[in-house]
Amino acid sequence: MNQAAARESIVKVADWAAERGGGVLVTLGLGSCVAIMLHDPGAGAGAMAHVLLPSRSLSRDTSNPAKFPETAVPFLIERLSALGADPRRLVAKLAGGASMFAQLMTPGSLQMGERNIVAARGVLRAAGIPIAAEAVGGGSGRSLRFYVADGRVEVRSVGTDACVI
Amino acid sequence: MQDVRDLKALQIDALREVANIGAGHAATALSQMTNRRIMISVPQINIARLEEVPDLLGSPQDVVAAVLMHMLGDLTGRTLLLFPEAVGRRLCDMLLRRPLGTTSAYDTLEQSCIKEAGNILSGAYMNALSDFMGMLLLPSVPSLVVDVSAAVLTTTYLNFGHERDFVFCVETEFHIDAEEELHGHFLLLPDLASLKAIFDAIRLT
Repeated sequence: MNQAAARESIVKVADWAAERGGGVLVTLGLGSCVAIMLHDPGAGAGAMAHVLLPSRSLSRDTSNPAKFPETAVPFLIERLSALGADPRRLVAKLAGGASMFAQLMTPGSLQMGERNIVAARGVLRAAGIPIAAEAVGGGSGRSLRFYVADGRVEVRSVGTDACVI
Repeated sequence: MQDVRDLKALQIDALREVANIGAGHAATALSQMTNRRIMISVPQINIARLEEVPDLLGSPQDVVAAVLMHMLGDLTGRTLLLFPEAVGRRLCDMLLRRPLGTTSAYDTLEQSCIKEAGNILSGAYMNALSDFMGMLLLPSVPSLVVDVSAAVLTTTYLNFGHERDFVFCVETEFHIDAEEELHGHFLLLPDLASLKAIFDAIRLT
């Protein structure tokens, strides 16, 4: 494999990672969770958080910043700044928020995937970070490979070909 | 009870026994459907942080066929039947009377077949619980997804559970007697409030 494969960081549920240069941030099996990815094209740096819940008010344990969009975005900006990125150059990509088993949802209720997407967009707008691309919603889980050098994200779902956003 | 971590050893034992009765009946149903011997494991009570859910069963990256159903009535919660993707196709072979190894994809007929199997197994499980505890339990329609295990498990808890910190499941593994290793998992996911109803029904307080 190439060098990029050697610098792969796996981002688990409610986890985060930040890299600069040839790194690849990988997350596997996003269901209704949302991956928020921030990229500074100038510095070739990127960070990813695998957020689980749309709001801190839904959880008693709020110690982990990567679990919620409202805490994950400021946290990622801080980590990227530490890596030499300029917060004013950041662009965002979002993926995930699928609604699996949709037929069992109470009709009319807003499901968690949708709430995660809305919350993530809201926090990014408040932080003034434009969203460059999204692969959200739908009924299938996603696995992502985020190449921090150029900001490219490979999105894979079971039974379909990979696409790049 | 505020938290699943407050469960006492005796209560966990009682839940295991309840699950064993349910899983025993589900295994009998599966055995009759496939005309094969089914073995079940001792039920496990898994308690985990929501973040750890993808690692609860097997490898989080494996593709699984999962049938989720709501449980309604005197107890509320969900049942989740999980097969590794290849095992689900073998089960289709058996139920649709095809030579083993023929089913290659989950088309309409195969999806319907797995959902029906889930329906019958969950029905047998809930029937046994309802007889044993003197309760009325009603299953919803089944819903199937074929996806990565991590996505299925987190979505099940996130979208349908009410607990956001610590979650739990009552899990029984079953093996189908065949040349190749065929196994699956049966998960009972009662809502926290329903645990009290279970303990009351079996006079354990």
